[in-house]
Amino acid sequence: MSTAFAHPVTVWIVGATLGLLLLAAAVIGLLSATGRASPALQRELWLRLGSWCILLPLMLGPVLLGRVWTIGAVTLLGLACLREYDRATGLFREYLIVGVVVLGILLVNFAALDHWYGFFVALWPLTVGVIAIASLPLDRPSGYVQRTALGIFAFMLFGAGLAHLGYMANDPGYRPIVLLLLTAVALNDVAAFTFGKLIGGRKLLPATSPNKTLSGALGALVTTSVVVALLAGAIFADTPMGHPALLLLFGAIVSIAGQCGDLMLSSIKRDLGIKDMGVLLPGHGGVLDRFNSLLLVAPAAFHFIGYYVGFGLAGPTRLITGGG
Amino acid sequence: MEFRLRPARDLGLAPGERLRSHAREAGLGSLALRSLWRGGVGAYLRLAHRLEVTGQQNLPAEPPFILIANHCSHLDTLALGSILQGEAGRRAHALAAGDVFFRTGATALFAAYAVNALPVWRKRTRAGEIATLRERLVEDRLVYILFPEGTRSRDGAMAPFQPGIGTLVAGLPVPVVPCRLEGCHAAWPAERRLPRPGKVRLAIGRPLDFAGLPNARAGWVEAASACEAAVKALG
Repeated sequence: MSTAFAHPVTVWIVGATLGLLLLAAAVIGLLSATGRASPALQRELWLRLGSWCILLPLMLGPVLLGRVWTIGAVTLLGLACLREYDRATGLFREYLIVGVVVLGILLVNFAALDHWYGFFVALWPLTVGVIAIASLPLDRPSGYVQRTALGIFAFMLFGAGLAHLGYMANDPGYRPIVLLLLTAVALNDVAAFTFGKLIGGRKLLPATSPNKTLSGALGALVTTSVVVALLAGAIFADTPMGHPALLLLFGAIVSIAGQCGDLMLSSIKRDLGIKDMGVLLPGHGGVLDRFNSLLLVAPAAFHFIGYYVGFGLAGPTRLITGGG
Repeated sequence: MEFRLRPARDLGLAPGERLRSHAREAGLGSLALRSLWRGGVGAYLRLAHRLEVTGQQNLPAEPPFILIANHCSHLDTLALGSILQGEAGRRAHALAAGDVFFRTGATALFAAYAVNALPVWRKRTRAGEIATLRERLVEDRLVYILFPEGTRSRDGAMAPFQPGIGTLVAGLPVPVVPCRLEGCHAAWPAERRLPRPGKVRLAIGRPLDFAGLPNARAGWVEAASACEAAVKALG
């Protein structure tokens, strides 16, 4: 327990999250009691809050519990995202390709668990190579580019990309960083929604996502950059990343990568002609509808921090395979 | 080259709804579970029932096709399913009585994931459901396993075939393979809870073609009686 909450930023983030949930429950309760919200809206709000009450412990819990839990949770998240994506795109009918992507996701998370960076980075080109050749023996060139491209895209997003989040847990001080990323992308979404509603104005990319506005995107960029810079300042104070300009740049990267992840999923859904990727989370849609922003943030944040500070450089490597 | 992105037919259905849907399409997870089940069933049929199959050469080389047989035991579905290999095995759906196999969540889970069954709601099947089954048979290149008598025979004797089989195939270029099962009634009659060991024989007949029949009452009845005669002839 004392290790889990060793860093003040961890305490702040978990405290703020719990506080927000209680506040939201109080506000919805007030709206319901005074009859200010229609029964349909009340139901929708409670449903969303209920989803968050289940989702937040599932997100924050593994990070607090430890390294193995964090990597395990990231693996399951990757597989859950793959399932929704392959059913939405039709890739699920290509059992062989999906099998290779599943194997790739398992291996890249194993490399994270093993703390073996060489294998972790080698798996990107190697898995792509296997995806490209896996369906050759079927002697079915029709649809080759489609199934291979869909498979590579899936591995990049839910395997190689997302696994960076788990790899961070190899650093003894990973908890505040991972919690910061998890909550920053949520804050980013909320800020974009709020500024968009308050200011409105020009649409950002109306054909891709009709509800997003330029004011929302800029509002989220400013809010997230500042909040992330402040919290990251407390985490990276005595490191080469501690400079205010770098911290703000880091916040901006988190915000932009988060918003791009959201727009990327919107593009996928528009192209497919569907509204939600799944039905798993009442009030949210599917797992991907909730975690889309994280997909690009994980590798971008990892390599930014990696460039200035690094992850687990002092710790033992190849914990399972040995030879480190 | 053209990208054709086809989302799963069951996309957006709640889990319980999906289990009972005719639009349910299996992914890699279901396939892995079903392979385990099929492996176990295959070994059981060989060991406990010394399953003997004749006429294997009559099975079409690839889907779509329909397997039909006389019906007096739950063993029938298992025996017919066990002769399908490769692509035909992966694409096989047993059409099972909804009121028996899809009544509760647990039985529906088993029927959907182990047997890959699709529900048939006896006496209240809607035209739209038949249309979906016909469309999927051809477009998704499926194999259906079904028993045209409509229920398990209580005395082992074959009952007249219902026209339901005709509504699925009349006018479609999909072969229907008649099969005859013997020994299943003795091994696992309807009134017994569990099967007992005993020899089971399965004869596979030559495929029947109903592409030229009209998809209307007359065609359905004609197809059903041709199927019935073909299964009887194997006895």
